[in-house]
Amino acid sequence: MDSQELLTIQNLEIQSLVAAVHAAKTADDLLTTTENLAASAHPDGAQCLLEILGFNNPGAAVAAVDGLVAIGQPVVVKLLESLDNSNYTARSWAVRALAGIGDPRGLSVLEHALAQDIGPSVRRAAACGLGNLILSTETELELSQCKRCLTALINASRDSEWVVRYAVTVGLEKRLKQDVSNKDWVIRSQNVLCALAGEEEDEKIVRQRARLALMRLDFS
Amino acid sequence: MRKTEPDYRDNSEGKAINEQEAIRRMQLSDDPSAQYYAAWWLGRNRSQNPEAIQLLRHALHQRRPKDLSAEVEENAVARNAARALGKLGQVAKESIPDLVEILHDDDYGLREAASRSLGQLQATAAIIPILQRLSSGPGIAGAREPGTPRLKEPCDAMLEALGDIGQASTDVISIIKLYVNHERTVVHSSACRALLQLTGDANWGEELVRLLKHDQLQVRRAALMDLGATGWRQALEAISETLAENSLKLIAIKGLSEKSKSEEIDIPLLDAMDSLL
Repeated sequence: MDSQELLTIQNLEIQSLVAAVHAAKTADDLLTTTENLAASAHPDGAQCLLEILGFNNPGAAVAAVDGLVAIGQPVVVKLLESLDNSNYTARSWAVRALAGIGDPRGLSVLEHALAQDIGPSVRRAAACGLGNLILSTETELELSQCKRCLTALINASRDSEWVVRYAVTVGLEKRLKQDVSNKDWVIRSQNVLCALAGEEEDEKIVRQRARLALMRLDFS
Repeated sequence: MRKTEPDYRDNSEGKAINEQEAIRRMQLSDDPSAQYYAAWWLGRNRSQNPEAIQLLRHALHQRRPKDLSAEVEENAVARNAARALGKLGQVAKESIPDLVEILHDDDYGLREAASRSLGQLQATAAIIPILQRLSSGPGIAGAREPGTPRLKEPCDAMLEALGDIGQASTDVISIIKLYVNHERTVVHSSACRALLQLTGDANWGEELVRLLKHDQLQVRRAALMDLGATGWRQALEAISETLAENSLKLIAIKGLSEKSKSEEIDIPLLDAMDSLL
């Protein structure tokens, strides 16, 4: 079998997986067929996975986000385009997919979501995403991206929802584990983690997570 | 530290309100919708203001028939006031006699809200009245109220309150056990939760873990919240694997951490949290 034939066969497989999603009649069917399509991690399935985000079926949407994250970079442009013309729920799932992929083209969306989104689960995903973001390899660009991630995380450290503050500690830990050349930002981030680890933070689990981050970063 | 609060919007004007404004609105007895929102706000923000507590106590006695056109529930202000008081902790203890009194109110929803709040306030004064309401067992107190989907008593809320109050007397245990095999899974789940809290017997925890695999999402969600409330640490893995929203699993795992007396950092628990974000 030559490579052209292999491609054709793969293509047919994706088409049949997509057809199965469209033929699903129950919520359970939709979940199973979405999981199957997601497992292919093939860019040709992306359009269908994006549509599933708007179906108002949380189980299937989680599976579709996993599938989009597995496809990764090739789907980023489509995801960014989808933000303009979809409803709130679909957008919130798209933000999660962008957070999972970690492509720097998602940076503005994640910044905005963490600062503004009304859904705590979206702000939580955005905070993680800002920790996961794979920064540019160009030094200048990397510096500015790193600063934007840290600034957004620091600003969200007083969010009213504990789960967002928790995610901020996780995001800051991930960011600081990588080499941050500007020592001033390291200190500012460290101060935020110290505040979240202390008594002025109401929630025990947030304090504990911040203490763990400080230990892992060897700041304590 | 007072956090920025992007979510606490006044639904009518889109502006965030503060404690003084909530207290002002709580006094508008001819505007129940303003009072309803104010009561919710005071609970959500854990107001410690003595004036707010007095107003909430007063509102417990406010009665108003269901307004069908406005789609507002019966005694909506009193119910929200009852819910709010449960969230306020120590400073709301003076409201316990008022809350106990409404355990005998005709309004089912008000009895339900009062039960939950008395549980949150760990009000031992509520034990005997709750036992009285439940003592007739699943055949009467736990039977369906004709013409409604409700039971005669808000059994799940009352059982949960007994567990939260935390007094494991023989009477309490034997009455809760009457409900362990109730045909409604939420009542069954609440009874297991209370027994696990009061006796620490792992069998009840294992029963709740079985419910995490139930066919219905609603049952799985209730079992998640119940396990979180008990703090039964052995449930960590089962909670992580439950087919339900990550938001709820995160709340349940947070519950496990809060109930633990230890200040030691529980790394496997935090790792489980991280993977659900």
